[in-house]
Amino acid sequence: MLKNMFKKTYTLIDMKYRGQTPQEPNIPEGLWRKCRKCGQPIYAEDVKNNYYICPKCKAYFRVHAMRRIEITADKGSFQEWNREMEFSNPLDFPGYEEKVQAAREKTRLNEAVVTGQCLIDGEKAAIGVCDARFLMSSMGHVVGEKITLMVERATKEGLPVILFACSGGARMQEGCVSLMQMAKTSGALKRHHEAGHLFVSVLTDPTTGGVTASFAMLGDIILAEPKALIGFAGPRVIQQTIGQKLPEGFQRSEFLVEHGFVDRIVPREEMKETLGKILRMHRSQETAGPGQDVENGGGIVDSGRNNVDIATQRDASPEGEKTAWEHVLLSRKADRPVAGDYIDQIFDDFMELHGDRYFGDDGAIIGGIAMFHGKPVTVIGQQKGKTTKENISRNFGMPSPEGYRKALRLMKQAETFGRPVICFVDTPGAFCGIEAEERGQGEAIARNLFEMSDLKVPVLSIVIGEGGSGGALAMAVANEVWMMENAVYSVLSPEGFASILWKDSKRADEAAGVMKVTARDLRKLGIIEEIIPEREPADGENLKEIAGEMDKRIEVFLEKYKEKSSEELQNQRYNRFRGI
Amino acid sequence: MFTKILVANRGEIAVRIIRACREMGIKTVAVYSEADRDSLHTLLADEAICIGPAASSESYLNMERIISATVAMKAEAIHPGFGFLSENARFAELCQKCNITFIGPSADLIHKMGNKSEARKTMMEAGVPVVPGSKEPVFTVEEAKAMAEKIGYPVMIKASSGGGGKGMRISYGPEDFEANFQNAQMESVKGFSDDTMYLERYIEKPRHIEFQIMADKFGHVVHLGERDCSIQRRHQKVLEESPSIAISQELRKKMGETAVRAAKAVGYENAGTIEFLLDKNKNFYFMEMNTRIQVEHPVTEMVTGLDLIIEQIRIAAGEPLSVTQDQIKIQGHAIECRINAENPARHFMPCPGLITNVHTPGGNGVRVDSHIYSDYRVPPNYDSMLLKLIVHGKDRKSAIAKMRSALGELVIEGIETNLDFQYEIMNHQAFLQGDTDTHFIPVYFPEYGK
Repeated sequence: MLKNMFKKTYTLIDMKYRGQTPQEPNIPEGLWRKCRKCGQPIYAEDVKNNYYICPKCKAYFRVHAMRRIEITADKGSFQEWNREMEFSNPLDFPGYEEKVQAAREKTRLNEAVVTGQCLIDGEKAAIGVCDARFLMSSMGHVVGEKITLMVERATKEGLPVILFACSGGARMQEGCVSLMQMAKTSGALKRHHEAGHLFVSVLTDPTTGGVTASFAMLGDIILAEPKALIGFAGPRVIQQTIGQKLPEGFQRSEFLVEHGFVDRIVPREEMKETLGKILRMHRSQETAGPGQDVENGGGIVDSGRNNVDIATQRDASPEGEKTAWEHVLLSRKADRPVAGDYIDQIFDDFMELHGDRYFGDDGAIIGGIAMFHGKPVTVIGQQKGKTTKENISRNFGMPSPEGYRKALRLMKQAETFGRPVICFVDTPGAFCGIEAEERGQGEAIARNLFEMSDLKVPVLSIVIGEGGSGGALAMAVANEVWMMENAVYSVLSPEGFASILWKDSKRADEAAGVMKVTARDLRKLGIIEEIIPEREPADGENLKEIAGEMDKRIEVFLEKYKEKSSEELQNQRYNRFRGI
Repeated sequence: MFTKILVANRGEIAVRIIRACREMGIKTVAVYSEADRDSLHTLLADEAICIGPAASSESYLNMERIISATVAMKAEAIHPGFGFLSENARFAELCQKCNITFIGPSADLIHKMGNKSEARKTMMEAGVPVVPGSKEPVFTVEEAKAMAEKIGYPVMIKASSGGGGKGMRISYGPEDFEANFQNAQMESVKGFSDDTMYLERYIEKPRHIEFQIMADKFGHVVHLGERDCSIQRRHQKVLEESPSIAISQELRKKMGETAVRAAKAVGYENAGTIEFLLDKNKNFYFMEMNTRIQVEHPVTEMVTGLDLIIEQIRIAAGEPLSVTQDQIKIQGHAIECRINAENPARHFMPCPGLITNVHTPGGNGVRVDSHIYSDYRVPPNYDSMLLKLIVHGKDRKSAIAKMRSALGELVIEGIETNLDFQYEIMNHQAFLQGDTDTHFIPVYFPEYGK
C-alpha cells in the first residue's frame, strides 16, 4: 500500500501575497439550514425552492406564516385582516408582555396567527395561518379573537375558510381566558357551517392541545401534511402518564388517517392545487351558474331516456336465458368491475376522503367528491379488491361500522353543500365479526337508514354486483335504486337461505331461484327502478361501454331531480319505501 | 496566488490537479468518500478529508459538505475537475457566497451554457453557425412533426435537459418520427422531469471537432486548436487526437476565430471547450459549450506545450494569460486513449475490482495520467475510467505507431479493460486512413457499437 509514502508539497508561494485575499473563506450566517431529521446542512435556497422540504431526506421544515401564504395564495392576492391587535394580559401574568414583545420582534408578526383573504388558484377564500415561532403558536385571547373575527367575516361574505393549524395548545399565561378561546372559535365555526359555508382545516406539524380539541378538528374537510404530529395530549405526557413506550408513528398524520380523523394527507407541493380543487368543488351553485350543456341538452336527453328504458326492457327481456343462480355467480365473478372502476370511468377529479371521525377508515367503502359533467357530486362505493392483497385491505367488500359511518358523514357533507349523492352497492354483506359487533354494526346500519331517509339532496344507488342484505341497504335508501343486469340484491345469500330453511347450503342454486334476487325479478316487485343492461357480463373489456350507459342515465337522473325541493326529495324517498 | 486548493473530485483528474498544484508550490486538500480511502488522490494530496459515504450524492456531489470541508481546511479555492459539480451553477454560486474561488467560469455563465436552448441562442447572436433546427421548443408530436417537415429529414430529436445520449433519437422520415419523438420525450421526462424537446437537422457522417479556449479576467481569449473526438461509442468518447486530420490550417483559423468570438461574446473566463459538428463538406455547426476542463485536455497540452490546469489556476487567481494567440503553435500530433474498467465482450459492462498488477509504458512522448496502482481496488460506485494513455509524435503516423507500442506495453491485471479494443482501433485500416466520423465504431465494430 502507498500510505505515507509520498513526499508532501514544498510551498513556493511567498506568504506576503496572501494579503491579496480580502477575507478568508467562511460560511455566511443563514447560508445553511440544518434539517432536523437527517441533521444535514442544506443550502437555504434549496430548501426555499423546494417548498421547505429537505431535498435530501424529504423531511418537512416548519413554515413561517407569511411563507405559507406565499406558497399557497396566488401571487399578490393576499390581503391581511385585523393585522394590529392590542396585547392583552388578562391575568396580569408577570413577564408575559416582555415575552410577547420578544416574539413580535423575532417574527415581525403581531400574534401567532395571520388572517386575511386571498385567491387560491383563482378561488377566493378566507385564510388563517398559525406561526409556530410565536410562543409555539399557542392560542390566547388575540389568536382566538383573530380566528373568530375571520370566520365571522367569512360567514357574512359567504367565503370558504381555510385554516393552517399548528399549535402547542392553550396559552398558559392567559389561564382560563385561553381555554375559552376553544369554545369561542368552535362556536363561530358552527355558525359558519350552519350557513352552509365550507371550512377546510389543514393540520401541520405540530397540532396539539386545545387547538386540536377545537377548530383544527372541525373542518368539513381535514387535510394534513405528511408525518405531522397531531394529537390532544403530547406524546411525552402520554408516555410519562402510562409508563409505556409509544409505538412508531403514533399521533402522526398517517396514524390519524388510519383512525378516521383526517380526510387526506396532502404533500406540501400539492397543497395549493388540492385546495384550489376543493374550493372549485364547493363554489356555491349561484356563482357556478347552471351548466349550459345540461340546460340545452335536457329535453333531448329526457326523451332519450324513454328510448333507453325501452331498449333496456328489450335487452333484458329474453327470459330464461340465465338462471338466478347464474346471475349470482356472475355478480361475484372475480373480474367483474368494482366501484372504483366505475368511479374512474364516469367521474372526473375524484378526490377520495377518508375516515368516520370516530374510529377508523374502512377500506371496504370508498367515498369522496368528484365532478360529473362539470358539477360536483358525492360518490360513495362499496369496494372489493382485485388481488388477494387488495381484498384483504378492502375486507372483501364487507364494510365495518366505521365504513357506514364514513358513508353517512360524506352524505351529510353532501347535504350541507347541496351535492347529489351517488352510491355504488357491491357487498356480500356487512362484516360479520367480533370487532364489528363491539363497535355497533347494527346501530351503524340503522343510523344510515334513519338519516338517509330524509337527506335533502337527490340520492341514487346502483347495485353493481352483490347487494347483500342490510349491508347493502345501508347505502341504498335512495330516491331511485338501479341494478345492473347481472347484479343481485337479497335479504340473505342463497347459501345462507338454503341452510336456514332447508338445512342444506348446497341447495343454494335452488334457493336463488325462489328468493327472487335478480334485477328483473326485483323490478317486477317494484324494489328497483332501472336495469343497466349488460350485453356481455361486465368485465374490463366492456367496462367503458357500460360506464358510458350509466353516465347517460345518471345525467338524466340528476336532471330530473335537480328541480325538486328538499321537501319533495324527502317525501319522494319516504313514499318510495312507504309503498313497499 | 492561492496557498491551498481543495480538489473536489477523485480519480485521475484529481491526481492531475494535485500534480499541477505541487508544481506551482500550492498545497492541496483532497476530499474523498469512504470508498476512496486508498485512492491515489487521497494519498497524494497534502491533506485529505473524508466527506461521506461511497454514493456520489452523499460525497462528491454533496455541495454543503464540500464547502464545509473547504472552510474547515482553510483552502482558498476549489478545483472541480470534470463531472460531479464542475458544471453546477449553484455550486459555483455557493463558492462565491462563501468567499471561495471556484476555478472555472462564473455561476451565471455555467447556467447560461448549461441550458442548451439558451446556449444556442447566445451563439447565434454571436454569429456562430448552428445546425438548422427549431429555435423554439416543441412539446407535442403534432407540432414537432410539422416542424420536422420544415427542417427536412433526417432529423435529430433532442431533449432540452438531455445529455450523454439520453433523450436523443434520430428520425429518417415521417414514418418513424412519432415513435422516436415519444421515446425521446419519455426518457427526458423520466430522467430530468422535463418534456421540452428540440429538433434539428441530423448531420450525416459528422466529425466531432472541439476547440479549446482559454480566457482571463482581462478579456484576453485564445484558442489552442482543435481536438477530433469523432471516435465515440454511444456518444461516449473513446479516443481523441489533435490536430484533426480533417482540418486545414485555413479552416483551423476560421473555426478558432469563431470560437474566440463566441467566448468573447458571452464574456467567458477560464478554460472552456466549444464543440462543433463538421460535415463532409467542411461546414461546421456549434453544438454546445463545456464550461470546465475536459477529459481529453492532455492532447492539447502535448501539441501546444501549455499546462491547462496551471493556466486555469493562474487565471482564477487573477493573473493574465501566459500566452498570446500568436505564440501558440500546434506542433506534431497527439493521441489519447481512454482505458476503462469495462468489458467490451459484454456490452462494455463496468468491471470494478482488485487490480493485481499494473505496468505502465514510458519513454519519449508517452504520458500516463492515472490513479491506479498495483493492489488498488476499483470501487463500483464511480466512472469506470482508469487511465489515459497519451502519446505525442512528429506527425499522425508516428503518433499512431507510438500509441500501438505503448498500448502493447501497458499491462493491467486483475480486472477486464477495453485495452485490446483500443489496440484494435489503433490497427484498423480505416483509422489509419483517417476515415473517422462519429459512426466509426458502429460501422467498423458493429458488435461493439450496440
